[in-house]
Amino acid sequence: MRALNWKEATGVLAVLLVLLGLPLVLWHWRVAVVAHRYSPGTKVITMTAVADGGIWTLDEVVGYNYWRKKPTRVNEIPLNQGDHVVMRLRSADLLHSFAIPLLHLGPVDVPAGHTVELEFTADRAGVLTFLCWQVCSPEHPNLRGRFIVKGNNKEESW
Amino acid sequence: MATASQTTPIDVPVEALEKTWRFDVFAQWPWLKRLVRMRSFQFLVILPNLFMFYLFLIAGLFGTPVGNRNIIIVFVWILWWFVLITVLVPLGSRSWCTVCPLPFFGDWLQRRAVVKVRPGKSPGTANSFFGLHKRWPKALSNIWLQNFGFLFLATFSALLVTRPIVSAVVFGVMFLVATGLALVYRLRTFCNYVCPISGFLSLYAMTSTVELRSVDKDVCLTCKTKSCIRGSEKGWACPWNVYMGKLDRNNYCGLCFECVKSCPNDNISLFLRPFSNSDLILRGYDEVWKACIMLVLALTYSVMLLGPWGRFKDWANVSEAHDWGGFGMFAAGQALLALVIFPGLYYLSIRLAKWYARADAVPTKELFLKYAYALVPMGLLAWIAFSVPLVMVNGSYIISVISDPLGWGMNLFGTAEFPWTPFWPDRVPLIQVPILLAGFYFAQRGLQRIARQLFPDPLQLRRSLVPPTVLLLGVTLVFLKLFIG
Repeated sequence: MRALNWKEATGVLAVLLVLLGLPLVLWHWRVAVVAHRYSPGTKVITMTAVADGGIWTLDEVVGYNYWRKKPTRVNEIPLNQGDHVVMRLRSADLLHSFAIPLLHLGPVDVPAGHTVELEFTADRAGVLTFLCWQVCSPEHPNLRGRFIVKGNNKEESW
Repeated sequence: MATASQTTPIDVPVEALEKTWRFDVFAQWPWLKRLVRMRSFQFLVILPNLFMFYLFLIAGLFGTPVGNRNIIIVFVWILWWFVLITVLVPLGSRSWCTVCPLPFFGDWLQRRAVVKVRPGKSPGTANSFFGLHKRWPKALSNIWLQNFGFLFLATFSALLVTRPIVSAVVFGVMFLVATGLALVYRLRTFCNYVCPISGFLSLYAMTSTVELRSVDKDVCLTCKTKSCIRGSEKGWACPWNVYMGKLDRNNYCGLCFECVKSCPNDNISLFLRPFSNSDLILRGYDEVWKACIMLVLALTYSVMLLGPWGRFKDWANVSEAHDWGGFGMFAAGQALLALVIFPGLYYLSIRLAKWYARADAVPTKELFLKYAYALVPMGLLAWIAFSVPLVMVNGSYIISVISDPLGWGMNLFGTAEFPWTPFWPDRVPLIQVPILLAGFYFAQRGLQRIARQLFPDPLQLRRSLVPPTVLLLGVTLVFLKLFIG
């Protein structure tokens, strides 16, 4: 009887481990693993392209909110001169493409469901336009935004 | 009326067909019996699936909305579906039900235990159950709910198999319903009467090469405890409410092996048997309609998912195309075909069979129910033929998604960017055609075996087979046209 209770307790513990452990592991990956992947001081920006409305967004576009809510369009992203930036680019629906023409950065394909990384350093002040580089959908022209890089030295601006 | 002298005898003797072999697995490999008799057996096989199922739900809610990059879509609708329909059902009967996590919490609440047994006196059993323990209404004690549930889900299949959130919601609701019903009704009501997956498993498990049966039925008939259905201090009352002394089909045995644990006479074993050769009887209109629905859905899925007709895809894929009129036509057309037109054609073939064979002595209902078995192997093999290209063309998604199950940018095993690589797509029809023809063969063979029991007169027998055979041939040709153009 004691052995049976021990088995029962182990079973319940195993179920609780699954129910609590899995979300904890996933949360740890998002919070700790991703953050520690890059060198200290790096500015990590995760941005998702959504064809419906032609939107680049900083919102998480995931299963539960994909249909329920329209993501917030990101028109401007503030940076400081000298920021080292890692863009983590995603697409929530179809093949997009990303480029920052002034930096000759990209275009890189951003396939649906993939995460594509792109790095740059904002070494001068000014305005950097980013956009989807290929005609992805009827609202493709709206898939654009700007980095506003606040400068330390006005002479070194774009 | 024809006589035997006017005809050539059927090539296979009746005696040979009526006695099919079976191989006692537990007698041959006793360690397997010891394994399933462990109290923790079912818990141990469900636990990994519970983990996966939980991951799927999380992925559906919080993972990427892109289906081919989300584990819930790729693992459930490509990998699981393929393994279920091509391996588990034909070779393992309802072995999926052994490991299914959906009723886990319901069982846990009912039993207040995940491993141990509680002896007691809950009504109709020798165990102690928690909950209201009510009887499921008699009027719903069939698989009609499962028929309509599956058809309903199939209507939205273009969403279900491509949108992670839709899959997550459907499985989440099934999970909640299974748990809720377990608190109100006795045993596994959800599995028996509600679960849409269970409905088609029950039908196609008839063809399977394994069965759980009593070794000697006479022992069951003299058994006073009936522990298989009532439970004991060693095992729970059969969650499927099956009495092993009368079990002669796989349909409603969920292979939980509780009866193996509880049988005081050690009289229950797992047997191997030939494919599609043993459980040849459909016992109600609900089962016949299930066979019709499944066959029609294999057809409409093939049109919608594999065919070249963009318009049908747009009709089904209402969330993208927003063509509600088209979706309405698709939904109504599919329901009409599955519930009225195809069963009507089958009924017509039975009426013709009866007329052509001059079989006035055999009631139409009996012929309608008995010949319907032919739709079972035909449907199963059609589903397998349909599922082959799914995994051959889209199987490579499994490799990428295993490294990044939620589409968050993980790369657990270094395969996250593995490209979509169809595997021999040009050879898919070469695999589909023999599978379909095998379906026709097994259907035809099943018909002949049943006909032998009904018609002693060989000419009557052969004539009675002509109309249903023409129908099956027509179905096979339609599938062939779809698969090879």
